Amino acid sequence: MLFNSDVFLRFFAAFLLLYYLVRGHRAWRNVLIVGASYLFYGWWDYRFLSLLFLSSVVDYSVGRKLAVTEDPARRKLWLGLSLVVSLGLLGFFKYCNFFVESFAAVLAQLGLSASPPVLNVVLPVGISFYTFQSMSYAIDVYRRRLPATRSFVEFLAFVSFFPQLVAGPIERASNLLPQFQRPRVITSAMVGEGVWLMLWGMFKKVVLADNLAPLVEQAYHPGVHSGPVIVLGTIAFAFQIYGDFSGYSDIARGLAKILGFELMVNFNLPYGASSLREFWHRWHVSLSTWLRDYLYVSLGGNRRGAVRTRLNLLVTMVLGGLWHGAAWNFVLWGLWHGAGLAVTRRDRRVAGTAPLPGWRRGIAWGLTAAFVLYGWLLFRAGSFSEVVRLTTSLGRLEWPVWIGSYALNLVVFSLPLVLVQIWQARAGDLLAPARLPLVPRALLQGALLGAVILYWEKQASPFIYFQF
Amino acid sequence: MDRSHTYELGGRDLAAVLTPPLGVLAIAALLIHGAAALGWLPPPRPALDMDRTVLVHQAEAARTPQLARTVVIGDSSGLMDVSAVVVSAGLEEPVRNLSTLSYVDLPTHARLLREYAVTNSGGLREVVLLLHPETLRLRDPSSYHSRQVVDFLEGRDAAPGPGVGTRLSLWLGGERLRGRCLSRWLPVPLAGEYGRFYGFTTDLERYLEAHGGSAVDPHTFDRQKAQGTAEYRLARRFELESRTFRDRMPSARLYVGLTPAPESFVGADHATAVDRLRTQWSAWLEPDGLLTNLPVTMPDRWFASVTHLNSAGSVEFSGRLAAEVKRARSLSGTAGAPEGGPRSPR
Repeated sequence: MLFNSDVFLRFFAAFLLLYYLVRGHRAWRNVLIVGASYLFYGWWDYRFLSLLFLSSVVDYSVGRKLAVTEDPARRKLWLGLSLVVSLGLLGFFKYCNFFVESFAAVLAQLGLSASPPVLNVVLPVGISFYTFQSMSYAIDVYRRRLPATRSFVEFLAFVSFFPQLVAGPIERASNLLPQFQRPRVITSAMVGEGVWLMLWGMFKKVVLADNLAPLVEQAYHPGVHSGPVIVLGTIAFAFQIYGDFSGYSDIARGLAKILGFELMVNFNLPYGASSLREFWHRWHVSLSTWLRDYLYVSLGGNRRGAVRTRLNLLVTMVLGGLWHGAAWNFVLWGLWHGAGLAVTRRDRRVAGTAPLPGWRRGIAWGLTAAFVLYGWLLFRAGSFSEVVRLTTSLGRLEWPVWIGSYALNLVVFSLPLVLVQIWQARAGDLLAPARLPLVPRALLQGALLGAVILYWEKQASPFIYFQF
Repeated sequence: MDRSHTYELGGRDLAAVLTPPLGVLAIAALLIHGAAALGWLPPPRPALDMDRTVLVHQAEAARTPQLARTVVIGDSSGLMDVSAVVVSAGLEEPVRNLSTLSYVDLPTHARLLREYAVTNSGGLREVVLLLHPETLRLRDPSSYHSRQVVDFLEGRDAAPGPGVGTRLSLWLGGERLRGRCLSRWLPVPLAGEYGRFYGFTTDLERYLEAHGGSAVDPHTFDRQKAQGTAEYRLARRFELESRTFRDRMPSARLYVGLTPAPESFVGADHATAVDRLRTQWSAWLEPDGLLTNLPVTMPDRWFASVTHLNSAGSVEFSGRLAAEVKRARSLSGTAGAPEGGPRSPR
């Protein structure tokens, strides 16, 4: 079920009514949330509910075992089971064909012919998100940072909570699980903020991202070799993917707030970053902190010298790239960012640990933006050959007659986002628009709602991150 | 009892959150509908995608004074296969292409011709009606596409498609805003190959205007990917539509022909089948001339798709069309006599 679909609006309206009716019973509330979440997920393909359930059962059981096991070897064994199941599911459903095909390609390069069986495996929506969320619980319990929950229903609700089930934020059990264990208080401020987040998220998805998508398609068409168009197309893609993904996160946070839950901030004005390090502190925060806490730190983090630290960064980012999809261009994207982080780590100011003064910050912002943009080109290109074609085309100064229309569309659809984000940055508050006085708030929200209705598609377009 | 959640807000709080933006929307809707009713908004011109841009442009061209007294009309094969520039050169007189899409029914095409005749008083002498055999087997035209043309000609806001969002947008004035203002101010990108070749809706319009109403299909025909069969037949609806077209078209000579299919796509008996189709169809249309010498097939290299020629194929076909129109004129005794009286409508 897509947030930007008619059926979801009906689903959520019905859910709100039932949610109101069970306000006196916490157990029923959690059962309702699990039921609704499984319906929400099963609407796409009910067969994959079994994976969601299996992932939950395994990590819940591992958590219970870890809670009563003191022997370090046995604890490791239990954690190992959790990781094998979670990564096994991911590996099979997401990476099986990728590795088989890559292996065959390597054999072919060596002059050996191989025709390995390629399975037609359907990628279950959101599998990367919920397996990471579920896995983090087992790791935290193993590290004794979190007590294992006794309630299976609460754990099911934690893993399957529908606002963030299929595209995050990837919540930590320490933040979300206790919210299912305690009564929630829903205030008028929370509803106001929730409504703003939902509206703003819908605007970013339906108006911004969905209208920039055809521009991106146009620029990345194999027949286009114009450098200026590819540059504009990559800028459009930067806004599209941001609008699409952060839009989803905002809607998720808004829905959760209306239900009395707080989800973590997943995007914090990332394009305002003046270093790569800062960018990764602001972009897909729930994934980057997950990778930091469970992968980078496990690899040794920055505790084993400068060279090893850079290597750890590189490995973490490459795996982060691979998390996005089973394709070499995602690996290349991870490598690009990993290399960037490793190189800029040397200069603490460039790396963003100390604030830069005035105009130097402007230059640093420009360099960071250019670096991130080329990363998006790698991300969007479908293959290595496309990366080469697009990169070589960047130098071709061809100006198609329609470039003016292209630029106009790009400005019209991305300008509202830029303006609102400048305002949010200056106010130092992502929720500043929700706290406006009555009249300007009504005008702003009315305009956003009108634009969303105007561009609302009968056939809702899926969110980009569903495929990850 | 193990309380789940508490609402620390009442109905008034909820109303304070939800009502203001809805109120703004309601006021905006009133303003838009009011401005439209008072004529303060520009008239509808919903050129919002490839199809609607073609329809709006051709309808607008039909009611704009033109030099051409010969008009080509038909489905998208007429739009893409016929270069008005080449036909003009062949006939040594201006020719206008008003072809639209296969989804548009024949009576709506007749309506375009009437607009043309009214605007160019006494200036419409010949109509060349071209359809692809694929169109002739289409059971149902799209009322949506035909309605777009009629609504535009009558200055009505186009009826939107289905869907909750669209309906809501209609009530709130969004569709009026889209069809009257946004469509004029903000070009819409075209998809796929069309996007690469033309760019945006405004660029497609510029192309159409610069080429006498003709377009080009920029795709490349791939026999392996071509779908469907070449078992062409005449859908029953064409009897009524053809007779209505003949009744409603303005006073002008009518020449009728069929556009070609790729050689490799059709069977050996295609020429016979086309001949049969043309004969049957012409019995309903009663044209002044049948363009029987137009090629029924052409080499695959000249095609963009099963129904459309590519740019080179269009030049080739248009040259042959000009020659065939000349032949038809001579057969109907009007060769070299451009002032020859047009046949009266029945």
